[in-house]
Parts: sequence; structure tokens; C-alpha cells
Amino acid sequence: MSSTPEGKGSAVHGGLPKRKFRFTRNDWMGYLFSAPLIIGVLVFAIYPMFAALFMSFHQTSGLNLTGTWVGLNNYKYALGDTIFWQALSNTFLMGLWSVVLGIAFSFILASLINNLKWNLGRNFFKAVYFLPNVVSGVATTLLFSFLFFPSKEGLINFVIGLFGIEPIGWFTNPQVAPYSIVLMSLWGALGYNTIIFLAGLQSVPRDLYEAAEVDGAGTYRKWLYITIPYLRPIFVFMLIMGTIGGMKRFTDVWLIGGTAGNPGGSLMTVVLYIYRNAFLASQMGLATAVSYLLFLIILILTVCLMLLNRRKDSLD
Amino acid sequence: MSGTAVSKEPVPRRRLSINQLILTIVLFAGSFIMIIPFLWMLITSFDWAARLNITFPPKIWPEEPSIRTFEVAFTNIKMFLYIGNSTLVSAGVILISSLSALLSGYALSKLRFKGANIVLLLALSTMMIPFEMTMIPQYLLFSELGLVDNYLAFYLPAMNYAFGTFLAKAFFDQLPSSLREAAVLDGAKEFTVFSRVYLPLCTPIIATMVILLFLGVWNDMLWPLLILKSASKYTIQIGLAMFTYNNGINQQPSIIMAATTASLIPVIAVYLFLQRYIIESIALSGIKQ
Repeated sequence: MSSTPEGKGSAVHGGLPKRKFRFTRNDWMGYLFSAPLIIGVLVFAIYPMFAALFMSFHQTSGLNLTGTWVGLNNYKYALGDTIFWQALSNTFLMGLWSVVLGIAFSFILASLINNLKWNLGRNFFKAVYFLPNVVSGVATTLLFSFLFFPSKEGLINFVIGLFGIEPIGWFTNPQVAPYSIVLMSLWGALGYNTIIFLAGLQSVPRDLYEAAEVDGAGTYRKWLYITIPYLRPIFVFMLIMGTIGGMKRFTDVWLIGGTAGNPGGSLMTVVLYIYRNAFLASQMGLATAVSYLLFLIILILTVCLMLLNRRKDSLD
Repeated sequence: MSGTAVSKEPVPRRRLSINQLILTIVLFAGSFIMIIPFLWMLITSFDWAARLNITFPPKIWPEEPSIRTFEVAFTNIKMFLYIGNSTLVSAGVILISSLSALLSGYALSKLRFKGANIVLLLALSTMMIPFEMTMIPQYLLFSELGLVDNYLAFYLPAMNYAFGTFLAKAFFDQLPSSLREAAVLDGAKEFTVFSRVYLPLCTPIIATMVILLFLGVWNDMLWPLLILKSASKYTIQIGLAMFTYNNGINQQPSIIMAATTASLIPVIAVYLFLQRYIIESIALSGIKQ
């Protein structure tokens, strides 16, 4: 609390107007230490963002950055392309089901684990349910490609066969394939959501429950009227993260259906559409235009979900 | 007296225990479903009879138990090479990303230089940009620089680890600034203060970053798919993916499952040892975001 650090502090913060643009040694040090971050952000985030915007207005052939200016033609082409709309609707379909089922199942699971009084068991279940989360998308897809084997040899088809159901072409029937992807991603992502929910459940103040108990509320009503409202920010966070993740689906659909999004284009997603146009057809302009559309869609969805949360808050 | 206190307790406990038992059974059943894919992967991977097609009906023990499946997998798919490559890529990215995050987090928290808030805001706002949008210009940038098929294409973008910066800054904020002031008064250089005074206190946040980065880089597929052209440079994910992509999915079950098992061993081993820390790190990263 001596006068030295204080005097130093005012110089550092530019308290005196005259010194505003004079960099002290401390400032230089700050920029030196932050240099890797600043260079990284500028070169690998800011620059590519503007380069993508620039490219989206150009018709490119081959791998050169400079093409011919075509204005909004790439956007127009994408918005008039039935494959783009198919990709978008597939992505929405799979994303929606993954998010809704993922949140519902993981919240129930987290509530169950949280109610378990057996400490060792709680940690054990956390670890087991979380395990698929460290498994890569490639390994998950390979595992499920055999679990979901289209003929009676597949494990899932064998199990449903015991109940007299005919084998289902999980990844080969265009009607079923998107839902199989949803089931697969549910297995992979369940643990992550559960862990976040568990952390949230432990943060609910005890006295809220105690007060409700005094009023005669049972377990179920405490869950419905205290836990769920209290965890709303976490639900919104999950919705946002799940939506963003769902909109970026690529690895699993690419590995199962290739760049055509087979079976029958039912697994064509937006990122697959971008990848296919950029790296197979060398249509970098079109691909970057679609990537901007994807960014806009994600942004709009995120903002909508945030607003949804705020409106509900003000109603309460 | 003490007698009433003792007799009071078991009553609610006994009433709860039936619920608790049902709960435990339900959770065990659920965990069994969760690990079935792994069990099935292991059984198939050791079954020589399943090298061309899945055996029917599903077995709870391999029909022809053998490790020849792994031999075939390791000769057809260069697993050792790919795992080595993945280790190289992960180690480099972890080193560069966490160093960048720690240095910038320290500067933003303790140096409070002019424009620090702008730097932080800029870095955090770029976290909103989806990688899928910047990947094409990034790819073209690396191809202009002649760095396609080069691990620098992983190491250089690793400098941009804004989330790590955010975590590190929040961590440094909790550490007292008086440590730095005292060291500076003693004439210590800024980097010495960082590396000798603060870095030893940072092990929890370093562990978190290493875990998150390792899982992210080891399991990543899209960027390696764009960057890596020659099979000798493949990471484990891309090696595995390309093998199945070229041979067709659903082919050679036990060979693919053996390769998948091998690809999971490093991650699962890390998970078994650091399970508690991994779960804590993920929960932390989720809450902080």
C-alpha cells in the first residue's frame, strides 16, 4: 500500500491524458506476452473471416484466391440449389432431435445420479456415462456402423429380431438413416450434458428445497418447480451448444454416406455440402458463401435462443 | 436422549433405501447399455471368424479367439505410425496452445497493459466464429505457404487458443498481484516472474488445458482431412477413416474393430487415470462458456 505501486498504476492505465499514447515498458511487455495470441487471432481467425467473405463474392476455379467478381451469384446459386436446401433440412432434422432428446435424457440421468446417496456409485456412474465422450467421432461411427449393420447379423437388428421385428437398414434406408445418426450422437454426447447438469444440480441452494419441504412438496414437485426453473440458464446453454454442434455435423455423415450424403442424400449436411464444393468441385466461392450462410444461421439461432431465455425471465 | 437420536435416523434411511435400490439398478442397466458398444467392439476385434463378415448370432465370446486380427490390422493400417503422428501433433498443439494461453492470460491479468481489454474482447469474440467458416481460407493460406501436408498447419493455428487465454486469465486473477510486485522490486525480469513465481502455481489450469486440448486434437478429423495428403503423415483418426472410406464401411468387421480398439487405447488409458480431472475440466469448460 505504499505510494510506489499507485503512481505506477496511474501511468499504466493512462490516467494522465498527455501520456495516453505513450507506451510504458509494461505495455510493451504486455504485447510481447500476448503476441502469440494476437498473431494467432489475427492470422487464423480475423483474416480468414474476411478472406471468406471476399471469396464468397468471387467465382474461383482451382486453388487460387483471386477469381472473378460475381457479386451475390454464389449466394443466389446456393439458395436456388435443391441439394443445399436438402442439406439444410437434414441438418436441422438431425440437430433438432439430437438436441431435444440429448437434453431430456441427460437431464433425467443427471437427476437420477444426483439423487443417489451412494457416493462411490455416483462417481462410478458419472465415469461410465461420460466414457463415450472421449471416443472420437471416427471410432463412434465405426462402432455404430457394425452395431447398426443392415442385415440380421447386426447386434441391434438381432435384438429387435428377438421381438419379431424385421431387420432395419439403419444406415442404408434413407427414411431411417438421420434418426440412426441421432441415436448414435445421443450415445456420444449424453455424458457431456449429464456432467454439466450435475454441476448445475449441485449448485441449487439447499434452502430452496427445505422451504419447499416445509410447504409439503414431494420429490417430483420439488424437481418440477425448483430444480428445472433454477437450471434454466443451463438448459439454454445446452440448447445453444447443441444447436451449434448440430449445425456443424460432418465426421459421422461423411464416413457413413461419403460426399454424396448417402443413403439417398438423406445424410447430406451443410458442412458436407461446403466440403464437397470446396475440395471436390474446387468451387471455393460457392463453398465460402455457404459457410457464411451457415454462420448467419447459427448466429440467428443463438440470438433467438438467448432472447427466448430473457423473455421467459421477465415473465417470471 | 442419545437413544432417541439413534432410533430416529434409520427410519427415513430405510424408507429411502428401496428407492435407492431401484435407482441403482436403473443406473446400472443404463450403464450396461452405454458400454455394450465397447464390449461388442472388443469381442469382435478378437474374433478371427468375423474378419470378413459379422458372425451370426452375436456372441458373448469370440467364435475363433485370436490376436491375428490385430496383426492384420496393424499391417494393413500403419497403426504405430499413425499413433506416433497423432502424439506428435497433439504434443505440439498442447505445448503451443497452452503456452500462448498462459502468456497472454498472465499479461491480461497481471500486466494490465494499454489495450488489454480490447485484446481480450477481440480474442473472445473470435470464439464465436465457426471453424467451418474459416477453414477454406486457412487451407488456402497454408497451401500458398507450401505448408499443406506439414504439421506446421496444426502448430501455427494453435497460437489462437482464446478459450485457454480466458481460462488462464480467470485463474491468474485469483492469484495475488503482490507476488509480482515483490519480485519486480527485487529486480526480477518479467519473464522470470511469470515462469518462476506464477507458473508453478498454475498446475490445475495447465492440467485442464492439456486435457481439453488433448481430447480435442487427438479426436479431430476435419482439419487433418484437409491438410494431410500423404499416408505417412496421417493422424490416427484420418488413418482409420481413410482405410474404411477406401475399403467401404461395414467391411472386415474384426479388422476394423481391432484398429478402432487400438486407436481408443491411448484415450481410454488417459481417461482411466485422469477420469476425475477430465470430468472436472469438461464441467468447468462448459460452465465457463
